[in-house]
Amino acid sequence: MDIKTLDHLCNLSKLNYSEEEQKKTIAQMSDIIELMDTIKDFDISYDDTKDKNEIAYDDLRKDEAKPSFDTEKLQQNTQPRDNCYVVPKMME
Amino acid sequence: MDLKNITVASLRKMLDNKEIGAEEATKEFLTEIKAKDEKVLSYITVTEEEALASAKNAQSIIDSGKASPLTGIPLAIKDNICTDGVKTTCSSKMLENFVPPYNATVIEKLNAENYIMLGKTSMDEFAMGGSNQTSAFAKTKNPYDTECVPGGSSGGSAAAVSAGFCTAALGSDTGGSIRQPASFCGVTGLKPTYGRVSRYGLVAFASSLDQIGPIARTAEDCGIILNAIAGVDAHDATSKNVAFTDFNEKLGQSVKGMKIALPKEFYSDAVDEEVKNAVMSAAKEYEKMGAELVDCSISSLKYAVPAYYLIASAEAASNLSRYDGIKYGLRGEGRSFEEMIRDSRSRGFGEEVKRRILLGNYALSSGYYDAYYLKALALKQEIIKEYNEVFEKADVILTPTAPSVAYKIGAQDNDPVKMYTADICTVTVNIASLPAINTTCGYDKNGMPIGMSIVGKRFDEATLIQTADAFEKTFSPVRCTL
Repeated sequence: MDIKTLDHLCNLSKLNYSEEEQKKTIAQMSDIIELMDTIKDFDISYDDTKDKNEIAYDDLRKDEAKPSFDTEKLQQNTQPRDNCYVVPKMME
Repeated sequence: MDLKNITVASLRKMLDNKEIGAEEATKEFLTEIKAKDEKVLSYITVTEEEALASAKNAQSIIDSGKASPLTGIPLAIKDNICTDGVKTTCSSKMLENFVPPYNATVIEKLNAENYIMLGKTSMDEFAMGGSNQTSAFAKTKNPYDTECVPGGSSGGSAAAVSAGFCTAALGSDTGGSIRQPASFCGVTGLKPTYGRVSRYGLVAFASSLDQIGPIARTAEDCGIILNAIAGVDAHDATSKNVAFTDFNEKLGQSVKGMKIALPKEFYSDAVDEEVKNAVMSAAKEYEKMGAELVDCSISSLKYAVPAYYLIASAEAASNLSRYDGIKYGLRGEGRSFEEMIRDSRSRGFGEEVKRRILLGNYALSSGYYDAYYLKALALKQEIIKEYNEVFEKADVILTPTAPSVAYKIGAQDNDPVKMYTADICTVTVNIASLPAINTTCGYDKNGMPIGMSIVGKRFDEATLIQTADAFEKTFSPVRCTL
């Protein structure tokens, strides 16, 4: 793991690390990836024909409109404005 | 009245016989929590007011003669199970003030029996860890020795049961998070078959592995709770419609003729001698009862830890991408959408959670996907195949639950690899979607509990409860003193 890879992963993960945190994280992630690398010794390929779908789609709920949660209750964990979620400006 | 070591089954009888009232029992547990939980830190939220109101309601149902098995029984709930109107933090700053607008299905099912919720228990942040020390709020301690970890991630639930702060609790298990803390805290914990219990309302960590289950003082109590929470749920497409009548239906039946497999890889040098000896003594005890011990091998165990961490982290990276600070959760600052999300996540998640997200995205990213994630899925197929082969010649499998007893707090800090490899005895059960139960089979030289796991065939929880109960009836547990 190097700084370039960590930067890439931080972009994918939407995370920030300070310079000091980066050093520690690179060291720890290198050890973790070394452990994960042991899986490469296992000589087998994934056979997607062996995996039957675990979900029986016949059992899914019917797609029908039903009363759902109260909007106010759904927004109890944020500070909405006019029933809308407030976010920073997305386009300049 | 001292209810510290009471079982669900015994309290049920006392409530029905009017030897104690639901309010009195509830107050007894609340008093214990107030007096002693500062030493253990098992709860994040204690719901005293709601508990007393529920107790009053439960008592009227008991008085009417219409009590269900859990009516008036005080339980604790792991803080990753959504409870309408009661904070559900996942032990994370990200969800520090999150109040769910709905109940998890398991909570609805417990409510239907008029149980009493005493509060929400601490855990490793987002259930990622095996020590409870990644909790942002309450780093739970082991009631047997408060200098030691209680295990995790359901460490708060296991410690609360062990310390006598509830009759039983709900936990969740993604890679051992019910069984390992139950082992460390000297109690019984059941991880049901994947699909047996609805995950609706369980905050998602790794959706193909997560499962809710009970932690209690006995296998019988685990069965009583599983009876209440099991069943197919239209809100969880992965829950299965597999019929059951009573998970305790085999209680008291002899294990004579039962075939118990001992996979040699679980008894390697990676497991402490004292642990191996205690589990082997339990195996001999089963042999005395008429069971047959069967030698076997699960050779893929060698690769189980990386396979598990790759699958679980990949799913976690995806599941946790929902935490952007917009609809709920910690909201960071930033002039742009991107800045705000990155700040929310960087401030909201702890170190271990961030490492798992990084690992998951690493395994899923271009150039690494085949080498890591697909290889892990191949391992999953191999592990399932090997378990199926063992179950062709055995009814259950007996293994240690953890390679060691509870260790000192801080012993594995800053060493994630050491922490991950300690999951070697539990993760294959989740990978193969199997049920397993931990029960105490001994104590080490310092008096710390040693747990053993009995692993069963899919949807055969009744045999696990029967097998664990048979041992528990021969074993004298040493309860902790606080």
